[in-house]
This record gives sequence, structure tokens and C-alpha cells, in this order.
Amino acid sequence: MAFDAIFQPIEIGKLTIRNRVVSTAHAEVHATDGGMTTDRYVKYYEEKAKGGCGLCICGGSSVVSIDSPQAWWSSVNLSTDRIIPHFQNLADAVHKHGGKIMIQITHMGRRSRWDGFDWPALVSPSGIREPVHRSTCKTIEEEEIWRIIGDFAQAARRAKEGGLDGVELSAVHQHLIDQFWSPRVNKREDQWGGSFEGRMKFGLEVLKAVRAEVGDDFCVGMRICGDEFHPDGLSHEDMKQIAAYYDATGQLDFFGVIGSGCDTHNTLANVIPNMSYPPEPFLHLAAGIKEVVSVPVIHAQNIKDPNQAQRILEGGYVDLVGMTRAHIADPHIIAKIKMGQIDQIKQCVGANYCIDRQYQGLDVLCIQNAATSREYMGLPHIIEKSEGPKRKVVVVGGGPGGMEAAKVAAERGHDVTLFEAAEALGGQITIAAQAPQRDQIAGITRWYQLELARLNVDLRLGTRADEATLLDLRPDIVVLATGGQPFLSQYPEWGYTENPEESLVVSTWDVLSGKVAPGKNVLIYDAICEFSGVSAADYLADKGAKVEIVTDDIKPGAAVGGTTFPTYYRSLYEKEVIMTSDLMLHKVYREGDGLVAVLENEYTGALEERVVDQVVVENGVRPDESLYYALKEQSRNKGQLDLEALYAAQAQPCLSEEGAEGFLLFRLGDCTAPRNTHAAIYDALRICKDF
Amino acid sequence: MLETLLPILIFAALGLAVIGAIRRIRLWRQGRPAAVPLLKGLAALPRRYLVDLHHVVERDKMISNTHVATAGGFVAAAVLMILVHGLGLAQGVLGWLLLAASATMFVGSLFVARRRRNPPARLSKGPWMRLPKSLMAFSLSVFAITLPAVGILPADFGHWLLALVLAAVVVWGLGEMVFGMTWGGPMKHAFAGALHLAFHRRAERFSTKGGQGNRSTGLKALNLDDEAAPLGVETPADFTWNQLLGFDACVQCGRCESVCPALAAGQPLNPKKLIQDMVVGMAGGSNANYAGTPYPGKPTGEHHGSPHGPIVAPDATTGGKALVDAETLWSCTTCRACVEECPMMIEHVDAIVDMRRHLTLERGQTPNKGAEVLDNLIATDNPGGFDPGSRLHWAADLNLPLMADVKQAEVLLWLGDGAFDMRNQRTLRALVKILHAAEVEFAVLGTEERDSGDVARRLGDEATFQSLAKRNIATLSKYRFQRIVTCDPHSFHVLGNEYGELGGPDFNANWEVRHHSTFIAELYDAGRLAFAPWKGGSVTYHDPCYLGRYNGEFDAPRNVLKALGIEVKEMERSGFRSRCCGGGGGAPITDIPGERRIPDMRMNDVKETGSELVAVGCPQCTAMLEGVVDATAEVRDIAELVADALVARPAGEAVDASRRSAGKTTVEEVL
Repeated sequence: MAFDAIFQPIEIGKLTIRNRVVSTAHAEVHATDGGMTTDRYVKYYEEKAKGGCGLCICGGSSVVSIDSPQAWWSSVNLSTDRIIPHFQNLADAVHKHGGKIMIQITHMGRRSRWDGFDWPALVSPSGIREPVHRSTCKTIEEEEIWRIIGDFAQAARRAKEGGLDGVELSAVHQHLIDQFWSPRVNKREDQWGGSFEGRMKFGLEVLKAVRAEVGDDFCVGMRICGDEFHPDGLSHEDMKQIAAYYDATGQLDFFGVIGSGCDTHNTLANVIPNMSYPPEPFLHLAAGIKEVVSVPVIHAQNIKDPNQAQRILEGGYVDLVGMTRAHIADPHIIAKIKMGQIDQIKQCVGANYCIDRQYQGLDVLCIQNAATSREYMGLPHIIEKSEGPKRKVVVVGGGPGGMEAAKVAAERGHDVTLFEAAEALGGQITIAAQAPQRDQIAGITRWYQLELARLNVDLRLGTRADEATLLDLRPDIVVLATGGQPFLSQYPEWGYTENPEESLVVSTWDVLSGKVAPGKNVLIYDAICEFSGVSAADYLADKGAKVEIVTDDIKPGAAVGGTTFPTYYRSLYEKEVIMTSDLMLHKVYREGDGLVAVLENEYTGALEERVVDQVVVENGVRPDESLYYALKEQSRNKGQLDLEALYAAQAQPCLSEEGAEGFLLFRLGDCTAPRNTHAAIYDALRICKDF
Repeated sequence: MLETLLPILIFAALGLAVIGAIRRIRLWRQGRPAAVPLLKGLAALPRRYLVDLHHVVERDKMISNTHVATAGGFVAAAVLMILVHGLGLAQGVLGWLLLAASATMFVGSLFVARRRRNPPARLSKGPWMRLPKSLMAFSLSVFAITLPAVGILPADFGHWLLALVLAAVVVWGLGEMVFGMTWGGPMKHAFAGALHLAFHRRAERFSTKGGQGNRSTGLKALNLDDEAAPLGVETPADFTWNQLLGFDACVQCGRCESVCPALAAGQPLNPKKLIQDMVVGMAGGSNANYAGTPYPGKPTGEHHGSPHGPIVAPDATTGGKALVDAETLWSCTTCRACVEECPMMIEHVDAIVDMRRHLTLERGQTPNKGAEVLDNLIATDNPGGFDPGSRLHWAADLNLPLMADVKQAEVLLWLGDGAFDMRNQRTLRALVKILHAAEVEFAVLGTEERDSGDVARRLGDEATFQSLAKRNIATLSKYRFQRIVTCDPHSFHVLGNEYGELGGPDFNANWEVRHHSTFIAELYDAGRLAFAPWKGGSVTYHDPCYLGRYNGEFDAPRNVLKALGIEVKEMERSGFRSRCCGGGGGAPITDIPGERRIPDMRMNDVKETGSELVAVGCPQCTAMLEGVVDATAEVRDIAELVADALVARPAGEAVDASRRSAGKTTVEEVL
């Protein structure tokens, strides 16, 4: 049987898991009301269980003590009995669909922030500052250690009383347990540090206390890292010794293993490998741990594909695979494997929009699946066929918003035509995918291509739709997702003209798409600081150009998320790209064969010049509104959206007007206002799901 | 002159016929012995002919009436002719009766002639083309010679030349109808056919005064302990004598070939030709005189056989040819469409499996994936070679009660090997959902269950079949339950119809086997299930061979669909004439190439109804039909449709029609 290794049940402790796929612990940023697992939280996990996930370990970094703040990331709060009834709702929702659910519990020690909420003094074995959160902390005292050990036990009791199937003790990501483990952080000389046994003691006492509280018929596991990747940190051999030590207690039911420590920006990027990483980059570390322990091992890191999961499990490297981002992208991944709909799986592309939002304290969302985390609002993962009239829907623009609109409308059973001026679907995704290490973003387009073909959407590629063509089709609904163009005309001093021969500046799109040949000595001016500027820099440097990327913001790539800017930086520094901040592009002029870019210091007003042969400007997108204004007055709704309905994910009222003449006009994505991929897809879903 | 000549001619013909009959019987007796009650069989003959055989023939009214007139007229005319012209008892009513009989026969023969004017392709030509003329010659000449006997014409009517011509025509008629009957002419079918009915190997197929016959579709077991008995059929003489007799009864009407899915797919099988080849082998010689549709891709005249020579050339790899090629035997899907249609009640499938048994058990020549599947069955008790311990993996989250724990239950849910198949697991989960909804007390055997043995048996591996069957029987005997319910018609058939012979008399005395559609229909009738109204598109239903033709269950699935609010758009070939999906008899395993695929043809049948969905009730059919590329219809098991439509059972009152179903089974129920 195909995928038999995935669908082999496994016993963890006394618990039977129906398959080998786990949604591992991650911070959802969904626990509201002071860290309670309320409706949104429950629905998010229920969807995974419905979709067939074997085991969900929820609540990454759920706290056991009040001096480990939960509010920064809206994580789950197990420091109070108030959580128990909420857990019962959560457990029921998952169990109803045959899934199992555990929760990760932790004390984060120094890995948090103190400058808000209860203004705690963070604790750590030796009071050493944590760089990622810029958090200072106090050296923990013996009394506090024992209090926290007790808190762990009480938290485990609450999980058990709430009907959850187990707890995972977090000894990973530099939380308190592994702060004690790591000699990099634990400099103590007392019984809680120094020797191996001393550094192990806190975790061991936590484990003993938890086990004593919950008994034998409740799962208790531990998540550890396989190698901290710090010269002064815990090596793989150290971690094998630690794993074997805890395993020998016989009190653990499973281990979760991931590669890399994460108390620097650079190591943090390893923990949730983005699209620049190869598949399962740290599987060998988990396999190494599996060699020395006697209980099942779970490993998650860049496992996104059923064939990959099957291969890993079949090879026996680990016992269960974490497919966490894979589930964020498509919570029905298991169902689709079972139904032979592999091609319909929306596969995670590693854009890390989810985790990069989380590091900003924002709720976890998927760049390409707008229904994820919005199940509670009624946004569907499976679009049901409409019971209403069949409509002629014309979508203009084959970028992410247009593709989602066409897909959703086709799923509703309508007759859908999609116009795209370019020869291929994808829009800005196609451009973004040209940069080194960013090719996997094209996976978003690939999925839509397959879906639109499956749904028999009439694709008119290489066709620029105009007013007459559209109206000839006698549409009931027109959806405009025409995007926009690089906004280079904002400052005349930049010397941009539409004639590429004369224009003094080109856009990052021109460079990435290959429309303009790479220069040899290039200045990139990036006013936006998102992906496109650093992508263009990486691309040009990769082609052999000498590149300086300049921004008026605090640093180039400042708006690129925490797990992604490090991989850009690794590449840019290696290629000797110069990164300069605080300078505005004042003016560009031609001098001889070259160009002179005049830069102005934001803070002093001082001017400086660069002599280059190419100036690339990233200044965002200017919406393409021409078609919209050509159609607006003819449309029944004058192109307007009912915002109350839109924000509540309700049907647009104009859809239910009976017998009305004329077509409805909606626009979404960058042709309304420049936003991002998720925004375009979200608008498309919430507008089109009720067609 | 005729008065003198006629008795001589009549008795000479009868005498020759007797000699021919003895020779023919000796041909049949080359076969192995069979325990058949001869006298009882002969006594049952009239009823078997007039009721059971007629029931099949009657499906074509025109032919039925033609045959009644022609055959009835002939039998009466022949008997009366002996009396009137042979023994000279022309007085009184006998002569008039003879006139009436021959006239009736003549009218019948006109219709036979009309049918032969533009005969359909399925009819054999050759000697059969002269039969209407012979029938007319006999009936007309008998009529003519009887006119003087009753005094309509003077006794010395006409010239001696006329008498001579008449005598010649009488000779023609007698030659075909009496001499030819036992010497291998077309009329052989009457002689062999009658005896075949009397000595049929499945007496239970026929009705008795006490009631209907049963479908008698279970294969008969090989006695593996009898060292003298051959393991299957190697030579024509290895068939039992009454099987040989049955082959000889073939009337070459080709009803079998017109329904054979393998022939339609251009695979090298034609059931009619196969039976004729057995006749050739029984008598010895070549198939050059066969005048019907050949096996696709195999010209006639190249094969030959003898009673004691091998049917299939021992070393097929050298291109040696014998009576038939192995791939002919492996093309059969065991769908029984041929048997169902055969007016002579010939048992084609038994013969094919007999010959397969030899190829598999004696020669180890099960083609393509056959050997691997059989090895898997031997090693793992399932054809896919899956870890036997994984049979219940699909239900890890369902907490199904195990028979080993509960010991007894109202229903034993038999999973079948679909338990290893991801597609069928959805059907099984749907079925479990239904059983829960109806609050049925059930349990499963879990890892104690083994493959039913269906595939092994149809591939000719009787030893593996019996090994699996006996172990399943032992397992079943440990527990108490009222019925076995299964969504697999193959398991259903084997458990219900084939285990009995091996399990001893009391083995299945206390329980019955139900196909899930039958059981669901019963639950619905008992008010234990309630359905939301059907909101999907048009639906057709595909009858699985092993449910329909094998077990006569045509109504329950349709009743379930009706209860769901579905009006079935029937395919032209449905019910007992349903076209096979191509998945039976191990055909997908032996995988004999043809010009097209059987499931493609079946999905085309579906397409012709314009249905958006085809409901099925068999994992094999589901797999075959879902495997069709660019199909126009979705394939769903009845259990899935039912599970989708389930709504909470009303407490006493009628179902509220506005109640909505729980929704599409897109997600949790399939997992």
C-alpha cells in the first residue's frame, strides 16, 4: 500500500496514535482571554483532526508559571485551573475526529520579555542576557526552582484533568530546562549546575514531579534539540548523552527532536527552516537521538511532502514525522493522501509567513491558505458547491489573488474564465521565485495551476483583457486582480521614464524577471525593505555584479521576518554585498557611460555619490486601476464592497439581489492597494466563497 | 413403393442413430467418473427442459416461439412418423396428428430460415446454415408422405419418379434430424442437450416441484487428499464425463460471446469457441471447421487436440500450440455472464477454473503477477503481501470491538482485503459509521481474519484456497454471531457459498452472510437509519458480478438508493445482464492484454446514462472503475452514499425532510 509507513498506528506510552503524522508544538498566538484555548484555538486544531492528523501537540511554549509571561505571544496559560474546562472543549473537538492531542508545557526562563504586562524579573540559571529578545534576567534562586518544578506538575495535572492525552516538556529553544542544560548559559557551581548531573537536575526533578502527579497512564514526552550549533553550546554527542540519561529514567514516553539551538538570530533561522533549506536538513540529528533512546522519536523540520514522510518513516530514521507547517498550509493533507488526491494538497512552500508573524506577536496565518486559523469565522478549507444559480465569472489577473478567486468560484460550480496578460500564471510570485534560494515560492502557483486545470477553468494566458473582451463574455461577476506596476515615477529626480533606453533607473522586477540584463556595478535603492530588494541584491550578486543595497530604513531587509532575513544575510555577506542604511535616493543622473546616484543622509542631510552602471529602485507597487475605472460605472455595485459583510466573512449582499441586471464588479489584491500575497488570497476567498 | 421404402429408411436411420449415440456416449465416457443419479436425472429431464431451460430461452421471445414450434413439431413428428410410417399405424387420428406436427415444424423452420438470412455475428455459420433447409426438407417431406396415409391423396398418387424424389427428401430430412443428431451434425444439441440436462453437474440449479432452483455458483472443491485425482484438468479426458457431455450440448447460439467482457475487450477469449475447442479435443482433431467468431488475434485452424493430449501446450515459451493457449484461460473474469445466458446450461466458468487449477498447481504457470499474489497469500494470508498485523491499521482511531475480546456479537463485520486498500478503507469507515448510527452490536476479527481465498481459488490455487478457508472456518467457529456483514461481494460469495463444502454440515447453521447493501436495506426497513434528502446529481448503479449474478442480489442496493431519494438511471446492461468491471477472477492480476480495457467499456456504459455518479458495492469494482482515465462519473460505494446522508434517527416520528445531512464525506469519515 502506498504510504503504508505513514498509516501505521503507533503506541506512545499507553496511547494509540492512528498514523505517524504529528502537528508539532508551535506558538499559534491564538489563546485569548489570558491564555485560554477558546473558540479560534479549538477550531484550528479540530480542523487538523478532521483532516486526519494523528497527533496534535498544541501550545508551543505554553507556560506553567506566572513569571513566564504568555501574553506576548498569546500562548496557553497553564498556571491556573481556569484552563481546565477550555482543555475539555479542545480535547473533545480533537477526539471526536479520532485524533489525539497533547500540549507543550514550559517555563521560558530568560527567553521572553520583561517590559510589559506584569513586568516580571525573568529568571535564568546564571542571569546571562538573551540576545534574540534582548532580555536581561536575574539568577534563579533555589526556592524559585522548586516553585517552578511544582508549577510544572500542576500544569500537567490541568492538562490531564482537561482530557488532553499528554504533555510535552519543552527542553528546546533555550527554555528554562535547557538553559540549565547548556554550559553556555548555566555557569552555576551548586547542585543545579557544574557537572553533567548538576545541569540535568532541574529537568529531572521536573520530570519526576510531573510523572508523580499524572501517573503512568498519561503521556509525558520531552522536546529537545539535536545540536545547539554553538561552539560553546551542547553538541550532538552531548545531546545523545542527555537523551539517554532521561530515557534511562523510564519515565518518558517519547522524545521530540529538532536541530539547532535558537538564542541567536542566525540559529533561530535553522529551527524553522525556510525555503532556502534542503528537505529535512536535521533528520540525522533526530536519527542520532533515536539510536540511544528506547521510546518513539518525533522529528519535525522541513517535512512537507507525503513521499518525503513515507521515505523517512520507511527508512526508520524516526518514528513519527512532524508536518506542522504542512498542516498550516493544508490541514487536510492526510485526508487528501487517503483519498488519492495528492495533487490537491496545498504544499507548504517555506515562506515562513506563519512563524515570522508569530515572532512579531501576531497570530499565525498561512501565506497561501487564508482559511487556516480562520475556521472559527466560518472560512472553509473545502469550498462547497453553490446551491444558487450558476454564474459566469470572469477573473482578470493570474497572480495569487486572481488564481484564488478563479479556484474558489470554480469550486462553487460557476463557469470561470481567467485572463492573464503574461504567458504564465503567477503574477509577482513568478518574479519573486527568480531570486536565489527563493524558487520554492513558485509552489504557490504550481498548486493553483493544478487546481485550475482540475476545475476546468478557462485560462486565457498571454491575453490582456480589455473592457470589450470582458463584456463580450456577458459576465455575471467580474473580479479584477490586475495587480500593479513598480512605482518608480514617484520622484522625477530618479530619472525614470517608460522608455527603457532612456530611463536612469530600473525596477527590481525588471532585474529579477530578466527583462533588464544585470549590471556590473549596481546600486539598489530599497525604500520598502521587504523581500524584493534583498532578492534583487542576491540575484545580481549571484550573477557576478558588485552590489550595494541602500535603504533609508533601519537596515536593508528590515521588514523580512526573523526566520528569513538571516538566510538572506548569509548569502549577501558571502557575496560581499554592501548593506547601507539611513540614506535616501536623492537623484540619479547620467555621466559619460555611467550613472551617478546621489544619496542623502536621512539624519544629517549630507549628500554622497555613487558612480555605478545600473541603479535599481524598489519603491513598492502602484495599483493598476485603469480597467477598474473603465468598468466601475457600468457595474451594478459600482465596484463597492460591503465592508461589514467582508470583515465578518459574510456573503456580499449584492450577490443575493434577485433578478437584477448587469454584472457585479469586485477588485482585490494589489490593484486595490499594494499589500501582500496573503492579503490578496484572503480577499479572494472571503469575497468569492459565497458566489 | 413408399410404403415399402419408408419403414426401411426410418429404421435404418434409427439404427444408425443408435450406433452414433453409442459412439458419442463413448466419447463422453472418456471423462472421469462423476456421481450422477442417472434415473433420477432422466426423470427430472422434462421439467428441467420445459421449465428451467425454457426460462432462459424465453428471454428472446421470437426464438423461444420458433424453437417451441420447430422442436415440438419435430419431436411429435418423429414419434408419429415411426408409428405411422414405420409401423404402418396410419389409421385414425395419428396421421392427422402427424400432418399437424410436421406443419407446425415447417412453420417453425420458416422462422429459423428467416433468422439465418442475416444472422447476427454471434451465431456460428458452417453446417448451421443448412439447418433451416434440412428442417424444411424433413417437415415438408413428412407432410407430403402423410397426405396419402390419411386419404387426402390417393395411395398411388403421382409418378414413381415423384415418389423417388420424395424418398430422397425424406432421406435428407432423416439424415439431418436423426442420423446427424448422434453423428455430430447440428442436431447433436438436442441429443446431448437433453442428456446434459438430465446429468447436469449442478442438479441444484434446477427447479423441482418443491420450488425454485438455487443459483449454484460456488466452485466445487478439489479433493486434495485423493492422490489418484488429477489436480485440475490437463487433458479433455480429465473433465468429468458429464462436463464433456455438457460441452457437446452447445448449440453455438453465441449468447455467451455477446456478453463476454473479455471478448468485447479484444482479449483472446470467446466462451463459445472455448466450448467448441473442448468438443474438438474430446473427439480429437483441429479447430479448422469452427465457423464462429474466433478468439481475437488467434486465427482458427492452428490449434488441435486429442482426448488425452494436453489442452494447453506444456511449454508455452517455445510457441507450441495445443488445443487452447493459456492466455485464453487467463482472460476470463469469472463474471458468469456466459453461464447466465447459456440456454444449454453449460458451465463455462467451472471448466475454465478446472483448467487453471492444472496450470497453477501442476505447472506453476500462473502468469504475470499471479505467482507473486499466490506467494503473498501463502506468506501473509493476503494477496498484497501486507504485514498481516496491519489489517486493522485503518481503524486505529475507531476502537472497533474485537471478537477475540467480546466472543459474541449480533454482527461480525468481515473486512476483506480492502482493509489494506486506502480507497476501500473509506468504504469500511463509512460502513462502521452506519453500523454505529443504527446502533448495531458488531465486532471484527481484526488480525485473526485472513483473505477469503477468492482470488487464490479463481487463479486455480485450490490448495491455498482451502488452507485459507479452513483457517477462517476455524476462527469463525470460535465465536457466536447471527450474521456476517461484508462490503466485499467476493468474500460474501466465498463465505456464503463455498466454505460450506469445507466447513462441515453445521459450520454455517447458526448464521447468515449479508452483503452490506442487503444489511443496510434491512436496517432502513426496520427504521434504524434515517437519511437526509439526496441533493446530488443523477446516479446509476453497477451490479457487481459476485453480488448480482453469483448471488441474485439485485434489489437491495437499488432499495437503499431509493431510500436515499435517488432515482437510478439504469444502464442498458444491468441486473443479471450487468457488464463486469474487469476485476474478477484474478483478471487484473493475470492481466492478459486486449485491444481495450473492460473497465473503460463499463464507464462508457455509465457515461451513456448521463449519470454524474455510479454507485457500486464492491471494492474490486470501485478500484477498476476509479482507475478509468477521464471518466465522466464519480465512483462511490453505497456505504459512502449512505454515510453521507445519515441524519439522527427520529424518535418515533417521520424524518423531517428539511433536515440536513452531516455533509460531504470529504474529511473525517475517510480517515
